[in-house]
Amino acid sequence: MRACVCIIAAVLLAGCGNEPATLTIAINAGVEGDALKTAAAEWGARNRMRVDIVELPYANLFEKELLDLTSRTGAYDIIMMDDPWFPRMVENGQLAPLEKQPDADFLASCLDVCRAPYRTGAFYAVPYVGNSQLFFYRKDLFDKHGIAAPAAWNDVLAAAKKIGTAEKMYGYVMRAAPGNAVITDFMPLFWAFGAEMFDSNGHASVATPEAVECVRFMLQLGKCSPPGYTGFNADEVSGHLLQSTAVMSINWPAWIAAMDDPTRSKIVGKIAFAQMPSARRKGVAELGSWLLGIPAGSKYRQRAAEFLFWATAPEQMKQAALRGNPPTRRSVFIDPELRARFRAFPAQLASLETARPRPRTPLWNEIENAFGIRISQANSGSITPEEALHRANQEMEAIVQRAK
Amino acid sequence: MIQTLRRSWPGVPWVAPTVVLLLALSIYPLVYSVKVSLIGPAGFSLANYTRLVQDRLFLQALAQTLLYTAVALAIEFALGLALALLIDSLGRGRAFFRAGLLAPMLLPPVVVAVIWRLIYTPQFGVLNGTLGVFGINTSALTWTSGESGALASVILVDVWEWTPFLFLLLSAGLQALPQEPLEAARMDGASAWQVFRDIVLPLLKPVMTLAILLRTIDLLRIFDQIFILTQGGPGFATETVSLYIYRTAFRFFNFGYAAAMSFLGLGLTIVFARSLMRVMRVPRVSK
Repeated sequence: MRACVCIIAAVLLAGCGNEPATLTIAINAGVEGDALKTAAAEWGARNRMRVDIVELPYANLFEKELLDLTSRTGAYDIIMMDDPWFPRMVENGQLAPLEKQPDADFLASCLDVCRAPYRTGAFYAVPYVGNSQLFFYRKDLFDKHGIAAPAAWNDVLAAAKKIGTAEKMYGYVMRAAPGNAVITDFMPLFWAFGAEMFDSNGHASVATPEAVECVRFMLQLGKCSPPGYTGFNADEVSGHLLQSTAVMSINWPAWIAAMDDPTRSKIVGKIAFAQMPSARRKGVAELGSWLLGIPAGSKYRQRAAEFLFWATAPEQMKQAALRGNPPTRRSVFIDPELRARFRAFPAQLASLETARPRPRTPLWNEIENAFGIRISQANSGSITPEEALHRANQEMEAIVQRAK
Repeated sequence: MIQTLRRSWPGVPWVAPTVVLLLALSIYPLVYSVKVSLIGPAGFSLANYTRLVQDRLFLQALAQTLLYTAVALAIEFALGLALALLIDSLGRGRAFFRAGLLAPMLLPPVVVAVIWRLIYTPQFGVLNGTLGVFGINTSALTWTSGESGALASVILVDVWEWTPFLFLLLSAGLQALPQEPLEAARMDGASAWQVFRDIVLPLLKPVMTLAILLRTIDLLRIFDQIFILTQGGPGFATETVSLYIYRTAFRFFNFGYAAAMSFLGLGLTIVFARSLMRVMRVPRVSK
C-alpha cells in the first residue's frame, strides 16, 4: 500500500517538474479567430511550444475573459477582445502593459483604442483585426437609375425610395434588434446628425434636438426596410443583400467576401463599398477592431508577448489578410498583391482612417444595453423618439451615477 | 480520533463525501451570493433590494415573465390534458401516438429555438412562405421581429416543445387511475362529463399538482429559447427575469444586483409552490 502511494506521489511530482509551457489563447469563434488559430499553430511548431486555442462564440467570449481577468486565474495567456470591451478589461491592472510599443505602421485609429487612457496612455494591447463599418450599396441599380454614390443621408433616403419603388425591393435594411445590434447601425447616423452620447462633463446627453432629428430620420429609413427589421441582426441584414431583396445597408467587412461568393450571393460584383454618408457632420464609421492583450495573471507573459508581436508583424498580418482578416497595418492595406485580390481594401482603409470608437467607458455594455432597448422601441413604434431618448438619457445617467 | 468516529457513527465515511460536495457546490455558493447581494459600495446595504422596486426594466421583465408563465402554462396544461384523454381513449395505436407526441420534448431547447428562429423569419421563413402559398397576405406577419407579436410567438414555441411533457405526466396519471370507481359510475348511469368532472379530475389532482408545479418552476426561469429567438427584443418585449439576471451578472458584471434579483425570483417560486399545494390540498402521506 505504502509503496503504491510512494509511486503515485513520485509520478505526480515528476509530472509537475517537467510540465511543458503551454500558451493558451482565447479567440472569437469566427473568421477573425480563424486566422489567429492558424498563426498560433505555425508559431507553436516553430518555437516548439504547445499552443492551446479556446474558441468561444462572441456572446460568451467577453464573460469568460473578464472572469479570468478579475479572478486572475491565468487560464489564458492571450485574449482576443472586441475594442469596446477594452476599457472594462484594462481596469484594475487586469491586463499586462506591453513592454514594447507597436510601431507606426499600425493605423492610428486602431492603436488609440489599445491605450489606457484612450489615445494617450500606455499600450495594453495590439490591434489584430481592422474592422470598421462600410456602406454597402447596389452600384448596378444606382447606375441604372442614374444616381451617384450616396454621400449624404438624405441621398440615401431618396435613393432608397426611388430604387426601392422602381425595383420592388426594400430600399434600405438595418439592424435594429435591441442592444449591440441597433446601436451599431445607429451610431454613424447619430454622429453624422451632430449628436453625442456624453457631454464634456461625462453626463448622458442623448436627449438633444439633434438626436431627436436623427431618430426621426432613422424611422423614415425604417419605412424603406423589410417588415420585422426591428428584430434584425447582421445575418438578416446580409441575407437581404445576398438575396437581392434590399438595396443598401451599413455592414462590416466580414460580409464582403460573402457578397462576391457565387455559392451564397445573387449579387456577385454588383455591390460597391462606400464611406459613411454625412449629414450635419462628415460621416464616420464605427470602429470594431479586435485586439490582442495579455492578462496580468498569465504565467507566460514573456512568451505571450513574443507571439503577440510575431502574429501582428507585417508578414503575418498579410497572411491573416489572405485568410480573410481586415488588417490594421497601412503597409498591408497598400500591398499590391492584396489590393489586386481584395477590391474593397481602398474603401476599408479610408473607413478605418477616420473610424470612431464607441465611448471609452468601462460601463459601455450597460450603457449600450439601456440605449439599445429604447432605440429599438422607437423603431418598433411603441414609444416616440422624444420619449425613447428621454428615457435612455435617464437610464444612462443613472448608470453613470451608480458607478461613481 | 478517526477510529472513534468510525465506531460511534459508522455511516459517516459513506455520507461525508456527499456532504462535503453539497457544502462546497451548493451551500457555500448560496450563502456567498446572499452576502454579495447585501454588499453595497460602503459595506452592508440593502441597496440592491431597494433598487429592485425602482428599476422599471426589471419590473417590466418580471411582469412579462409572469404573463409568459401564466399563458404558456394554461395552454400547455389544457392541451396536455386534452391529448392525454384523447390518446387514453384510443383502442389501438396509443404507443405510436404517444411516441410521436413526445418528439418535440426530446429536442434540446437551443435546437428548438434555432429551428423556430428560421421558421419565423418574416421574408425567408417557412411559416410565412407556407401561409403565402395559401394566399394569405404575410406582409404584416413579423412574428418574433414585431414588438406586438413577439411574446405570443415565443409562447407558441414553448407550447410546441413542452405540451408533451404535461401530456406525458397526465397520461401516466390517467393510466394509473383505479378502474373500479369509473366502472361503478358508468353502471350508475353517469355521463362521460360527470365521470370526468367528479371522478377523474379529483383522482388526478396529485399528478396535476406535480405537473403544474414542475412546469411553473421551469417557465419562471425561462432563458435559452428567448435568448436564441429574440434576445429579449424587439425593444424589451420578450425580456424575462432570467435574461435580465444573466445580462446584469455576465454582461455588466454586477453580481450583487443579479443575486438580489435571483433571490426575489426564488422567493416568488417558493410562494407559488406553497400556494399551489394549499389550493390543490394535496394530503401529506402518513407513515
